[in-house]
Amino acid sequence: MSHRGEGDGMSVESLVRQFRDGVITRRGFLAGAAGVLGSLAAAEGLLARVAGAQSKKTLTVGQSADVSKLDPQMSTTVNDIAVTFNLFDNLTSRHADGKLYPSLATEWKLVNPTTWQFKLRPNVKFHNGDPLTSTDVKFTYERSYDPNAKVITKSVLNTIERIETPDPLTVVIVTKKPDPLLAARTSYYAGQIMPKNYFQKVGEDEFNAKPIGSGPVKFTSWVKDDRMILDANRDYWGGKIAVDQIVFRPLPELAARIGALLKGEADIVTKVPPDQMERVSKAANTKIEGVLYGGLYCLSVATQKPPLDSKPFRQAMSLAIDRELIVKELWRGQAAVPNSMVIKGDAHYDPTLPPLKYDPARAKELIKEANYKGDELLIETPIGFMVMDKEMSEVIVSMWKDVGINARLEQIEYSVYQQKIREKSFKGVRWTDPTSAYNDPDGMMWRHLAEGGPNAYWFRNARFDELGTAARFSVDEKFREQAYKEMARIELDFLPLIPVIQPMELYGLQKAVEWKPYANQMMEFRRFNLKVNRA
Amino acid sequence: MQGFGRFLAYRLGRMLVALWAVVTVVFVVMRLSGDPVPLLLPPDAPIAEMERLRHEMGLDRPIFVQYGVFVNQALRGDFGRSIHFRTSAMQVAWERVPATLELAGASFLCAIIIAIPAGVISAIKRGTAYDSIVMGVALIGQAAPTFYIGIMLILTCSLWLGLFPTSGRGEWRQLVLPAITLGAFAMASIARITRSAVLEILRADFIRTARAKGLPEFYTIAKHTMRNAAIPIITIVGLQLGNLLGGAVVTETIFSWPGIGRLAIQSIYNRDYPIVQSCVFMTAGMFVVLNFMVDVAYGILDPRIRRK
Repeated sequence: MSHRGEGDGMSVESLVRQFRDGVITRRGFLAGAAGVLGSLAAAEGLLARVAGAQSKKTLTVGQSADVSKLDPQMSTTVNDIAVTFNLFDNLTSRHADGKLYPSLATEWKLVNPTTWQFKLRPNVKFHNGDPLTSTDVKFTYERSYDPNAKVITKSVLNTIERIETPDPLTVVIVTKKPDPLLAARTSYYAGQIMPKNYFQKVGEDEFNAKPIGSGPVKFTSWVKDDRMILDANRDYWGGKIAVDQIVFRPLPELAARIGALLKGEADIVTKVPPDQMERVSKAANTKIEGVLYGGLYCLSVATQKPPLDSKPFRQAMSLAIDRELIVKELWRGQAAVPNSMVIKGDAHYDPTLPPLKYDPARAKELIKEANYKGDELLIETPIGFMVMDKEMSEVIVSMWKDVGINARLEQIEYSVYQQKIREKSFKGVRWTDPTSAYNDPDGMMWRHLAEGGPNAYWFRNARFDELGTAARFSVDEKFREQAYKEMARIELDFLPLIPVIQPMELYGLQKAVEWKPYANQMMEFRRFNLKVNRA
Repeated sequence: MQGFGRFLAYRLGRMLVALWAVVTVVFVVMRLSGDPVPLLLPPDAPIAEMERLRHEMGLDRPIFVQYGVFVNQALRGDFGRSIHFRTSAMQVAWERVPATLELAGASFLCAIIIAIPAGVISAIKRGTAYDSIVMGVALIGQAAPTFYIGIMLILTCSLWLGLFPTSGRGEWRQLVLPAITLGAFAMASIARITRSAVLEILRADFIRTARAKGLPEFYTIAKHTMRNAAIPIITIVGLQLGNLLGGAVVTETIFSWPGIGRLAIQSIYNRDYPIVQSCVFMTAGMFVVLNFMVDVAYGILDPRIRRK
């Protein structure tokens, strides 16, 4: 060790020598030792900073959990998609403005009601140098719904009947019935284009461990539960991104996640709850970016048993919820009151419907009308799977009590919650946060309430079903608009799902980072949407 | 030495039975507690798809058949493939062992270097201000929940003072806060037990004799007291080391430390049976080996024990 700071500071050797020679007292020795340790730490910090400045320009993203799989057809969880949407490209891409843009496909058109043609971008290469062609698209899509493949994305592209590849840059897709949303589906999960040759050469497990795509970053290394490192793809067709490296870190504990952002150890963190917003936006170097979630927080009602089988009772439940208050007090204004199961930002949103009303007097009347005998009404929920789920449950329980509903909150574990969804064994109501899959009512209202859908339970209505089926297979957007308007009103009358709020999703960012989050939770980093203003 | 050999063989046998029992209990409890299949598939996956996956994972077979397959594989050190990561469960768990050992080792060193001298001095200076302060701090260490200590350390030492990083694993500075957080409870209990064990011995007749015959105080403490107070101290140290290895879940989560505890808890939520079994097996294995070592240490320190 060098004799650092011989003048005012002290080295370890000199300190020990002085202590031994009786020059300083024991107390003086301890104080000096603390000083030496402190200066060592400071010097090391300085060295690290100097080294950091010379090293690669890195974007560090802190997520609420670790990545689990990298095979894009093996996972649909948000934390995995954040990575795979950067390792891979889709044919189309939905940007922060909610619109569909060309990605690997430069153009697409509907040739006839069941045939779509996509033109691919020329000269696109996978990370291993192989060219990306129509064969890879055909392989990827066919695997996504292959009954024998062990993938979990079979419901996304299963409207496809067959795929033709007349030349390396043309893909012709024939659907079983007219599918107005096919182009939108290609931007979703299951649609990340994988390299056929490499995949077949290395097999499923090796591909999951060392994936190869065509995206703006390449897989470099992954230490599970610690960090995943992705190096920039310098030959990316859309131009090299603004950093040399993206690092994904799992930071499950909120305090640590926010702490990492405030201290500059992370550049972007996800899932910032509204009560931390001020802390992040008031700090010198950090800011908040929010986006209205492309989905809803709803209460799903088990409509088969009294009193929940009664329509007036369900209407009373909805009227008794003061959504404005929830938005103002719990969400600090960072949420919107919805007007139906079709959300603001989606196609066929109906602005003429008023936001859902709060009317406790009318709720009390409806409860009388429903002949309610005071049976217990349960909200069964895991805590923390949605932002503010516990707080909102507590508030709603007390709002229901105010109008005479005997409500109670019961906490359950997340996997029990999942199992109850499967078995349809919820006794009362539960929270659900449906995402609007293709920015279209078909991807949320109908997907969730069609027969067999995750929130269908025992609700069935002939007109609703007729319109939902017809709109799904129609390429006439005028007809679809009318159909969804009517369906939204039927849903509000029967309320198998009670929409509560449309929340803002909040991300914490360093001020030096310019990036806007997407409503559908997909975290794409491209040259056009990411800027990092530091050395 | 034959007696010692039998003593060792007996302890070794007990160790294996304990391991088998732990793993069997985990096998049964995990299977009673829920189905992993709904967690693996998206919410709108059809029933047929779930059945297929359940069959593929062998979950549709009777539980005793599953147990037979499990024991057969476990004997060969194979706990199956992780449901979540789709690779060897034992390998996934094994990758976490270095991080866990690093954290537990650092906490353990902190604990014994600080706690044993603190406890001994407290006992010698019983009733003084020093004693009150040390025992007061120990009480806080024992009573304050780990998540509270962890978050407070992040807030003070990293955000306000900027001394250490908030989380992660890599350089030594990232180890400091989690090691203190994890070690706090162990430190507190070791200090308290050391103090009471030493106090107990200090009252014994032979200490009075040692002092009466004019032995220097240091020698009385180091040789006569410590050797006799060693059994309870070693017991608590052994137990605490076991806790440090297996009980780091909260600390690992707060500091994003990629250890085995966090893997285990995450795998429980995911109903990833093979990983949970591997983690429990490894943690139990480390615990049992430590207990065995503590037993051996007893035998060495106190000849009466190995004759029993």
